[in-house]
This record gives sequence, structure tokens and C-alpha cells, in this order.
Amino acid sequence: MKRILVSSIIFTLVAVLMVGGTASAQDKFPSKPITVIVPFSAGGSTDLLARAVEKIWPKSSPQPLVIVNKPGGGGVVGTEFVVRSKPDGYTLFLGYGSGHDVVMPHLQKMPYDPYKDLVAVSRLSIHSVVICTGAKSEFNSIKDMIAWAKKENKPVTSSVSTKAGAVDISITALGKEAGINIVTVPFAGGADAVTTLAGGHVMIGGGHPSEVMPHIKAGRFKPLAVALPERDASLPNVPTLKEQGVNVYTWGSIKGVAAPAATPKEVVDYLDATFKKVCGDDEFKKMMVDLDQPIMYQDSAAFAKFLQQAYGDYGKLIKDLNISIQ
Amino acid sequence: MNIFDGIISGFFIALTPGNLLFAFLGALIGTAVGVLPGLGPAATIALLLPITYSIPSPVPAVIMMAGIYYGAMYGGSTTSILLNLPGEAASVVTCIDGYKMAQKGRAGPALGIAAIGSFIAGTVSVVGLTLFAPPIAEFALSFGPPEKFSLALLGLLMAVTLSGDSITKGLVVMVLGLLLSAVGIDPISGKSRFDFGVTELQSGFDFVTIAVGVFGLGEIAYNLEREGSVEIITTKVGQVFPKMADWAKSRLAILRGTLIGFFIGIIPGGGAVISSLVSYAVEKKISRHPEEFGQGAIEGVAGPESANNAASSASFIPLLTLGIPGNAAIAMIFACLLIKGVKPGPFLIVEHPDVFWGVIASMYVGNIMLIILNLPLVGVWVQLLRVPYGILAPVVILFTAIGSYSIANQAFDLYALIAFGVLGYVLRRLKIEAGPLPLAFILGPMIEGSMRQSLLMSGGSFLIFVSRPISFTIVGLFTLFVLGQVVFAVRRARRSPKIETAV
Repeated sequence: MKRILVSSIIFTLVAVLMVGGTASAQDKFPSKPITVIVPFSAGGSTDLLARAVEKIWPKSSPQPLVIVNKPGGGGVVGTEFVVRSKPDGYTLFLGYGSGHDVVMPHLQKMPYDPYKDLVAVSRLSIHSVVICTGAKSEFNSIKDMIAWAKKENKPVTSSVSTKAGAVDISITALGKEAGINIVTVPFAGGADAVTTLAGGHVMIGGGHPSEVMPHIKAGRFKPLAVALPERDASLPNVPTLKEQGVNVYTWGSIKGVAAPAATPKEVVDYLDATFKKVCGDDEFKKMMVDLDQPIMYQDSAAFAKFLQQAYGDYGKLIKDLNISIQ
Repeated sequence: MNIFDGIISGFFIALTPGNLLFAFLGALIGTAVGVLPGLGPAATIALLLPITYSIPSPVPAVIMMAGIYYGAMYGGSTTSILLNLPGEAASVVTCIDGYKMAQKGRAGPALGIAAIGSFIAGTVSVVGLTLFAPPIAEFALSFGPPEKFSLALLGLLMAVTLSGDSITKGLVVMVLGLLLSAVGIDPISGKSRFDFGVTELQSGFDFVTIAVGVFGLGEIAYNLEREGSVEIITTKVGQVFPKMADWAKSRLAILRGTLIGFFIGIIPGGGAVISSLVSYAVEKKISRHPEEFGQGAIEGVAGPESANNAASSASFIPLLTLGIPGNAAIAMIFACLLIKGVKPGPFLIVEHPDVFWGVIASMYVGNIMLIILNLPLVGVWVQLLRVPYGILAPVVILFTAIGSYSIANQAFDLYALIAFGVLGYVLRRLKIEAGPLPLAFILGPMIEGSMRQSLLMSGGSFLIFVSRPISFTIVGLFTLFVLGQVVFAVRRARRSPKIETAV
């Protein structure tokens, strides 16, 4: 009994140490496991995406991926770790294009430049913002909600994942464009915000498809709109805000991969090509459907260009809405 | 399929040799993780997740993950009792009387009653889970920000009951805990507070670092000062199993703890902690000898330990029926299911009855395995106290450091751990009970966040806390408790001069 316990302790220790393991071989890339930093908590939507990629990756590469969660500072802690790590392609960052890259630099000083200090490898997915209401709500569309708010002259309460996050910005922008008062109530994350709407404590709420789909399928939520320029592939029946006469869109939370800026071009190309193979894999496609995450692959160059657009669009929204966190 | 057919089919799944093995592995790893200070079930499940990719069916993987989760709850009491090291929030309360019992040579009965209480609570709440999961999930959803605020406020009041002889000292550490919890990003405004330009501080301190530092390291530093007396404590092992008298005292405490844990434990976020606090406060209030609490009262171990185990089983309810993960470890189990193509939520029971019933049935089996595993281990753990302190202390510090580092894989937490160790030592020297500090740290953000969320919802009106039935009831309990305390204090103040004259 004691021996088994001891060996399981040792096993755990070895597993912990392996995470930080290093090899010094100069062979053809990759010659050792590749560490992928997820700067968010284990079990979140970015982490799930990373784990789906981790599972498929070995089909196309001789070396596995090792996922390490380094949460903190809204994603800054883990990203800074990658920025400061050796640019050899063995330390990557998954979640490039999330709020801390496209929103936060407009609002506060960053310890690094998310565009100059990192090189875009591939875009994998976009987690859009889906605006929902409870099944018992009298709103069946965004128009209903706007009409109600104007008629009653009352504020609409909305749960949002975090202050100045993609959901908050999308819903605040909707309120301003429609000329109604929406009070956004920030929570400590998407799960809390969605649970609060599920309990009927607020009138509307927003979340990424992976967070709201279980409730939509259970008949607990009615989806009102998707805050993207185009419809979301994982909810093709839900119209965009623009289709409903509100000229507002955001890019939700973009999920791509980045490496330290000085990573050799051929290594980036290898990684990009491998991520492309993963995105084309049938088992991966099925997993992503199960996770309610659309596959939206873009290669290194196109992704870098796209990020500049997303960064600029968020900057303009934040300025127009006068959002600040100071 | 009705419940009876369901659970029977579940047992057919859980009792296959392969699944029994996975349940056993889960229970074993969980116990080890619970015993190792700092290394939590969430981190372990994250580490083991890639291994489950090669298992084709989701059932064995989830059976093992679930086993790790509730096994860790069993094991968590061990270090709390023996070394004053709480591995997770819900074990802080166990430290108070459990460690005192160990110092008095009653580590065996404390560990034994914790294991028995955990078994009863775990089994009873799995029965509850089997019978009432869907309606109870609806009840959990009815807790919005106002209800969470009232509940957390009640929890904070309960935390003061841990403060021992001096309420003032208790309030001082409580405020310290609340202040520490304010470090990091303000949940409502998004602004970073008290970070002094340190990026790592933006996400605030971690609970494990605080609890392990203030309790564990503080205790070790304090013990090093008095070399001689430590030897006496560590060699005095005493009897291993609880006596009939211990059982008689703990029986009802375990039952009450189970009920409290089951109902408060289903509320996502902080349910387990508050339930262990409420259980402790209830036991102390109704006890005929409240003065023994804080000095090694066995009910003070039995009640809260049962409550936190009942809560850990109950926290599967929102996951399995609504698809809502209530805490980090459950979120990892959620992730494991999703990667296997199984979506937890209202349709789980229809789409994947094998997962739903198989996991529930495995929890009955797992609880039996845990009691069989843990009762004989009590004898082994107690022997741990015979290890010379000069060897035990550095080993404990090593594991503590590994555990703290593993939380976010950053060295900063190690510095924070040392700082909290110093704080714990100072509190110990000043004879201040540290219990309320980590508890206030957990409850602080709940109170602040849910109060400000409620006021945003109500447009600034405080009436929201009394105009909703559940919140009104909790606020009412809070008021009664405070008034009762005042009346009690006044009576005692009147009575005490008489006692003096009698002496």
C-alpha cells in the first residue's frame, strides 16, 4: 500500500518536472516535445481548444505538444512568459488574439508589445459573442428588446464575463448604437455570467458559443444575435446584429498561436503547416463541433494582417464608447 | 428509464473489472493528492488528462477523474490534522480542532472520525444525487448575486466563531484576510488594485499559498523555536481508532454536517467552504460544552469534514444536470468529458445514460474503496508523527513549495509562500488564531463582487437583498445570529459577577 502511494507520488513529481524539461539536441525541428502555454485556467474554452489540438497533433508531428496553463493578469502573465522565452519554436502561446492582445493594449500599459514581440503562427478559431435571453423572456429578437427599453424607458440588465472584455464591449456598443440604456454587470468569467442568466437574475447576457450552446439546446436560452460581421458557423441560424438593423460588430475572442518574435522563419512555417493539417483532420473537426468552436484557420501572414484589423476595430470601438478601466 | 433501472444499469457499468480498476486508481491518486500539501485535484487532473486520450470510452476516464476529486477531499483532512496544513479551502476549519487533537495525542481518533464522517457524508449525498439531482439543480440556479452576497456574509459571520477566546483578535485577522483578497483585478471595474506594478499580483494571491503559508509554514517556524517540546508532541501518538464515546459525540455532528454540505455545496463557487463553516458554527452553538471548541473537540472535526465531503459530491449536480462547472477541479472533469465528445448538461442522462449512471454508481463504489483504503492508513499516517521533526519539517516544506509552484507554474508564488509563512509565525507568537484569515480571503471577493453586481442589477437600491425570498431568509438568519450573540453576551456579563462571589 505504502509503496504504491510512494510510486504514485514519484509519478506525479516526475510529471510535474517533465513540464519544465529541456533537451539540447540541434537536430531537425522538432527534436523534443513542444510546450504550449495557455495563459488561461484549465477547463476554459481556450484550454479545451488547446487540448483538442494536443490530441490530434501527434498524427502530423514526431513530437507531442505539452499544454501548460499559466493563468493570471487576464492572460498577460502566460503571454509575457512566452515573449521572454527562447525563440526556438519549443515554447508557443495558444490564445493569441484574445482580449489581452486586441483590447487591453488600448486601455493600459503592457509589459510587452503583443505585435512586435510575438510572431503570428496560425489562427485556429474565433469565439464570437452570442447575445441571449432567458427562455421565458418576452424578447424574441434584438428589435423586441430595443422596443421594450424605449417604451418602458427602463434599463436592460445584462451579465457579461468581465469588465471591458469582448462581451462587455459588444453589449455596450449595442446599447449605444440602439440608443437604449443597457447596464452591464461584470462577473469573474464567462461561466458565472452565463449561470446568472440561466437563473433569470438578469434580462440578457452574452457568452461564447461553447458557454451558451448547452443552455440554448436545453431550451433555457433564446439566442438573440451574434456580434460578428458575418454569422457564426457554429450557430448558423442566429442572425447578426447588423442583420437586425444595429450596425455594430466585434471580433469576439480570437484564438490563434504565436511564438516569440525572433523564432526562425522555417520553424514558424513548419508549425503553421502542422496546425493547418490539424485543422483539416476529420477527428479534430468532429471535436470542434462538439466543443461549439468553429474552425477558422488562417496562415501566418494572413493571421498577422487580420490581427491588425481586429486590433484597430477594437481600438475604434473603445474610443467611441469611451470605455476605460482607470 | 427510471431512476431505479438507471442506477442498476450504472452498477453493471461501474462493477466491470476495468472500471473498478479506474475507480481504485482515482481513489488512490486522490488520496495521495489530498495528503500532499498544496497539490490540488484540479492540477492533478490537468496533468493526467493526456493519459485519458488513449482510453476510447469516456466512462473509465471520468470515473477516475471523479475518484481523484472526491478522494482528495478524503485525504485533505490528513495533513490538516497532523501538520496544521490545509490543502484546500474547505479543510481550514478541520485544522482548528483536528490539529489540537493531534497535539494532545489524539491524531488517530481525529483521522478515524474524519474518514468515517467522509464515508457517511459521501454516500448519503450520492443517494441524494441519485434521487433528486434535477430539482436540486434548479434550486442552485436560484442563487443569483443577492443570494450569494447574503450567504457569503453569513459565512463571514461564521468565520468569526473560529476566532477562539478573543472576538477582537478574530476580527483583526478577518480584516487582514479581506484586505489580502482585494489585491488583484477589481472584478467590477477591471482596474488592477494594490499590484505595485508587479504583473503576478494582478491576478491576486492564491488561496493555497496563503493557507499553506500561514498555517503550515507558520507552525513549522514556531515549532523550531521550541525544540524540546516538539519531540514530545510528535512521539505521543496515542490510540489509533475512535472510541465509542467519540462516536457517540460525533454521530449527530456527521449527520448535520452531511445535510448542510449537501444543500450549501451545490451552490457554484464557494459552497464547500461556507458549508464547512456553517457546520462548525452549528456544532459549537448547540454543543453543551462550547468551550472545548478550538481545544480539540471531535465534533469540530466530524461536522465540517462531513460537510465538505457531502459538498464535493453535491457539486457534481450542477455539472451533470446543467453543464455548469462549480469549481476548478469540476471544470477539468467537464473538459475531460467534452474532449471525449460527451456534453454534460440536461441531455446527458438521455444521450449518454452510461456516463451519467456509470459515474454515479462508481461514486458509491469509490466511497467504499476510500474508507477501506483510508481506515488502515490512519495507522500509517499517525506513525508519520514519529518521524523526527528535523526530517519531517524540510520534507513538508519541499512538498508545500512544489504545490505552490504548480498552481500557476510561476516562481512568484514561492516568494508569496515565504511571506505568508512569516505572517503565520507572527500570528502564532501573538497567540492569534489564524483561521478566519484564509476564510475571509475566500469570502471577500464573493461579498464584494456579488454586492456590487446586485446593486448594478437594482439600480443602486439595497432593498434587493431583502425583497427576494431566499436572500431575505438568509439576511434574517444573519440578524438573528447577531442578536442572539448580543443577548448571550449580555447575560454572561450579568452572570459572571455571581460566579466570582461564589468562588
